[in-house]
Amino acid sequence: MSPDTVQRAPGYVSPTGETVLIGCGNLLRGDDAAGPLAVRYLWERWGERVPPGVRVVDGGTAGMDVAFQMRGARRVILVDACLTGEAPGTLYRVPGDELEELPPSDGINLHAFRWDHALAFARWLLKDDYPTDITVWLVEAAQTDFGADLSPSVERAVRDLVARLADDLAGTDGAAPASATTATTDGP
Amino acid sequence: MDTKDIQTKQLSGDRVEMHISPMGRVEGDLDLNIIVEDGHVVDSWTQAGMFRGFEIILRGKDPQAGLIVTPRICGICGGSHLYKSCQALDVAWKVQVPPNAHRVRNIAQACETLQSIPRWFYALFAPDMVNKNYAKTDEYDEIVRRFAPFVGTGYEKGVTLSNKPVEVYALYGGQWPHSSFMVPGGVMCAPTLADVTRSIAILDFWKDNWLESEWLGCSVERWMENKTWEDVQAWAEENESQRNSDCALFIRYAQAIGLDKIGRGVGSFLATGTYMQPELYEHPTIEGRNAALQSRSGIFADGQYYDFDQSQVAEDHTYSFFEGSGQLHPFDGKTEPIDPKDGKAQNKYTWAKAPRYNVPGKGYVPLEAGPLARQIIAGREGAADHQDYDPLVRDMVDKLGPSVFTRVFARMHEAPKLFAKVKQWIAEIDLHESFYTKPIEHADGRGFGATEAARGALADWITIKDGKIENYQVITPTAWNVGPRDSHENLGPIEQAFTGMDLTDIDDPVELAHVARSFDSCLVCTVHAYDAKTGKEMSRFKVGGGC
Repeated sequence: MSPDTVQRAPGYVSPTGETVLIGCGNLLRGDDAAGPLAVRYLWERWGERVPPGVRVVDGGTAGMDVAFQMRGARRVILVDACLTGEAPGTLYRVPGDELEELPPSDGINLHAFRWDHALAFARWLLKDDYPTDITVWLVEAAQTDFGADLSPSVERAVRDLVARLADDLAGTDGAAPASATTATTDGP
Repeated sequence: MDTKDIQTKQLSGDRVEMHISPMGRVEGDLDLNIIVEDGHVVDSWTQAGMFRGFEIILRGKDPQAGLIVTPRICGICGGSHLYKSCQALDVAWKVQVPPNAHRVRNIAQACETLQSIPRWFYALFAPDMVNKNYAKTDEYDEIVRRFAPFVGTGYEKGVTLSNKPVEVYALYGGQWPHSSFMVPGGVMCAPTLADVTRSIAILDFWKDNWLESEWLGCSVERWMENKTWEDVQAWAEENESQRNSDCALFIRYAQAIGLDKIGRGVGSFLATGTYMQPELYEHPTIEGRNAALQSRSGIFADGQYYDFDQSQVAEDHTYSFFEGSGQLHPFDGKTEPIDPKDGKAQNKYTWAKAPRYNVPGKGYVPLEAGPLARQIIAGREGAADHQDYDPLVRDMVDKLGPSVFTRVFARMHEAPKLFAKVKQWIAEIDLHESFYTKPIEHADGRGFGATEAARGALADWITIKDGKIENYQVITPTAWNVGPRDSHENLGPIEQAFTGMDLTDIDDPVELAHVARSFDSCLVCTVHAYDAKTGKEMSRFKVGGGC
């Protein structure tokens, strides 16, 4: 944490030590919904509440706001769909230190802001308080059709991811909420 | 604009055809085709590449599905979609909306718009003003110092603080974006005194640290005294603080680079209006809506004002990838797409339909939606006491004409105006009164709901039959602005705005960028997924198993 003598931009938010989980994507576009749905499934798994020290965010397609939601966080987990050409349902875990080489930030397009743009923007926005512990989970999409449900392979991958996240976050600042049962079995 | 996005084809002599794909900094797939003769744009076609199928998604669904689906159409103005979908259902189900609910909905809508104003200006519009074509212009260095993306001092403050208004939204709505707190019959929140106090503090912080200190260089009250173009010009010279503000700098520089001479558009305008007067809309109906609006609806065409009547709206699909030609009112609207290949053989060229309005004595004509439209409507005489009467932008358009400059000016003018309104609405909340009345969910009904999103008029038409959505049509402001030609060969507003311009450098047509960004088009519903084209070797990050 920087000393109080450092000039702060207006709107500065003190670090909260939280872990922030942000699901990005468009709920109306088939497998692009993976991010927001992962967040939703996790929340349901926790009995519709969130463990202490964790904040979950439905980032939707609101690009720039992902960066604002990262303010104050010690740790950030982003979930999004991807189209890399691999088998649908392939899961990627991209650690923060691999994301140093980010796309150029001068071509900001407010309406087509992805997570990688959001990280570049967040680095600028948060400066010394840009969280260093960032993980991006990506799920390979099969289709992004209007109004389509998740493809079966992507649904399974999202359930698998939710189980992994639940384990990961169970130890965060003391445990999953007392009422959540961890016996839920999801996915393969 | 990236030159690799532009393909140029020599036609004959000085005529070239330019295909610009994508327009850049415009959401979704908007392409532009223009014919340029000796640097002068003589014709233009906008092409919306994407299929807007959300009306199909909603058919047969629960009536409240629109509240969930339409906000996902856009991640930036989702709250506006929620607002107007809710109002359509208020009408269809004949609900009762308590005054407090209207106040909170007004606050939420205005806060979403307030958030978008500095973000749009600094992150989307202003960066083109530092284009190297303008390097010899007076005050260019200061423009770069303030508005260069990321490094500009104005950019820093404007964008960093742009989140404050939506923090207020989240106090009432639980979150922003993607709140579902507006429902037929009211809002699902019970604000406390602490929420009210906090929302005032956040707004004042935003005003103190950006709106008054950086943008205006004066108080909101002082700015709102400006009623004519002459008032604004005098204001800009009145003292050092105002002269040095981002606003005054923009006004001087925009004229210096000719933004007041480009992007006229069709010169006719539409507002569906928003912000309900609480006691006048406790029982929402289509017929009662206009009188209850604080920010009025209306049409301005060929120098005349007309009342807005939703029954006079139609969508022309002659040039769109839908079956047949002609136009339909949204209550009768169909969404029957055809294969674009077949469409192109029939001279159709876009997925966007062409919304048109039947202006008395003129037939179905294209109209521009947006802040310029609604501020011109605000200049109409005869406002009721609760309605906004503000002659400033009408005066500027009478003297300077519609243009990129007046369009941007109108949008920025809404920042101090809406700020003052939000503070007033917060003060009017009665914490002891109700915020919701549970509605009867009628099995059949028809509703119309509309608002002014940051970008302009946004409206839903819903028909419910046997407890399910039978028909659902949404017309967005971008649909009004970016739509194609219609069966009468009228160009759409943005097509019209591009036509007739001179391009200084056809390899870097920054004038096109100014015009496009002044409209702030949003083609909705983009896919967010990270794709292989962006590079990055991903296989080493695969996690075991796959599915």
